Amino acid sequence: MSISYDTMRAIIREYGGFELSDEELELVRPEVEGYLQAMSEVADLDLSDTMSSRLLRAAEGGNSDAE
Amino acid sequence: MPNDALLDLTISELAPRIQTGEVSPVEVTEAALARADALQPRLNSFITLLHENALDRARAMEDELADGKYRGPLHGIPIGIKDNIATAGIRTTVGSLVLSDNVPEEDARVVTLCEEAGAIVLGKENLEEFAAGATSNNPHYGAVHNPWGLDHIPGGSSGGGGANVAAGVTFASLGTDLGGSVRLPGTFCGVVGLKQTFGRVSQRGLMVTSFNGDHIGPMTRSVADSAIVLQALAGYDPLDPSTVPVPVPDYLDSVGQDQSGLTAGIPSNYFFDDVDAEVETSVRNAIAALQELGVEIREVSLPSMEYVGALRAASLADGIVTHEPYLASDRDKYGPNVIYRTMAGQFVLGRDYSKAMKAQRLIKEEYARVLQDVDFLVTPTAPVPAPRIDALEIEINGETHRVRGPGSGFISRNTSPMNGNGLPAITVPCGFSGGGLPIGVQFIGRPFEEGLLFQVAAGYEQVSPSLGVRPQL
Repeated sequence: MSISYDTMRAIIREYGGFELSDEELELVRPEVEGYLQAMSEVADLDLSDTMSSRLLRAAEGGNSDAE
Repeated sequence: MPNDALLDLTISELAPRIQTGEVSPVEVTEAALARADALQPRLNSFITLLHENALDRARAMEDELADGKYRGPLHGIPIGIKDNIATAGIRTTVGSLVLSDNVPEEDARVVTLCEEAGAIVLGKENLEEFAAGATSNNPHYGAVHNPWGLDHIPGGSSGGGGANVAAGVTFASLGTDLGGSVRLPGTFCGVVGLKQTFGRVSQRGLMVTSFNGDHIGPMTRSVADSAIVLQALAGYDPLDPSTVPVPVPDYLDSVGQDQSGLTAGIPSNYFFDDVDAEVETSVRNAIAALQELGVEIREVSLPSMEYVGALRAASLADGIVTHEPYLASDRDKYGPNVIYRTMAGQFVLGRDYSKAMKAQRLIKEEYARVLQDVDFLVTPTAPVPAPRIDALEIEINGETHRVRGPGSGFISRNTSPMNGNGLPAITVPCGFSGGGLPIGVQFIGRPFEEGLLFQVAAGYEQVSPSLGVRPQL
């Protein structure tokens, strides 16, 4: 996965991001490309019916005695 | 026993001597401060040492004992606090230049709890800048060095704590774990590192980088000590909405319980896929040792780990939001590794953040299903022993991986999933590489079942080849 400097510059410009020089864009690029690569792995995953939650319950998935 | 030798004890061994008056909090604190001073030039494990505060506190704890008051097993025990956990009146830099003059007005909840339990804070421990990395190679306060090999990283981001516990400077150190930052120093420094269930311990007073997985947890020299520290920390905090009001059991009750009849799940995918051969051998030996202890071993599959990389979108986006005000005012005070990892967060789409949260839910559900069939999971804690401090990359199975800065994250590939799913996980030393560097095995449990992890980890600890082996400094 790759992203062009022009796209990155446009995102910064249009969304009020932090300015980055060409040299800095190159330093940021590995992290951005890692993110894009990771998202490509869920591109075909149907998440439309998935509930999102954060809290864990003691009994979730286990045999905890806690209620 | 000479005072210096006291520092090689565990909390479980020292506490009864303090309780009976055989050892005084002042003498053990003086010994710990002397060792801290002696090793600081080599380990660089502290950002701020608190000689006066610690000795004042030790005298107060000694006076209480003289008056017949004993607070419990942390009474008079010297500990360290990672420098991203707030301490009232004591600067808390978060390993950054941006916050180099930051002096909180209030203690973090965990600091209050440790002090109520009688612990003595020796100092604020060095870490990765803004706790955002796995090396503890801090550009502003210097690199932390691993007591087992001074040219190697201690792991991060809580590297100062890992180094101090391994070197016998502190008996316990509180670290923070957003992707493995307690467990990685645990494995690289050959100590026990615990990331308990999300919601078990208050995060109030921690500079939280992400709502979605920061934890404060202990590093100790034994599993029993880990149980002792968690006992002091665990519980609902009405001022921290991430905590959950689940009753806190007596964790030491679990230590020493038989392991027979338990079932361990060994993941057939992901966790052993990209692992150094010596690490894999040590962890497989640990699994065989568990079997000898009566644990049934069963292979399990976790196909949803294919999607775990997507969680990166959430942590990147959370990171840029946390840093936004500092980047706006003090951008030039950042080191290059953290600033360019953080800046990547401004390119994350909201759609992807939502996908990350939903993929996380799928992963959590899968672990919940698997943990109905087995009692706990066993994996390598880190894919490699501690890399060298000057290493920019490491190679595994012919592939190179960045150790620090943008695009890194390989070192935490086995620990960070538990920050996403919130499950408790503990690392226990399980041997050494040919170069004499520690290796750790990770046990992962069900939500709020830290007791079962202590049961397993304490049983394994007694047969581990690491038992009783200490770094020579």
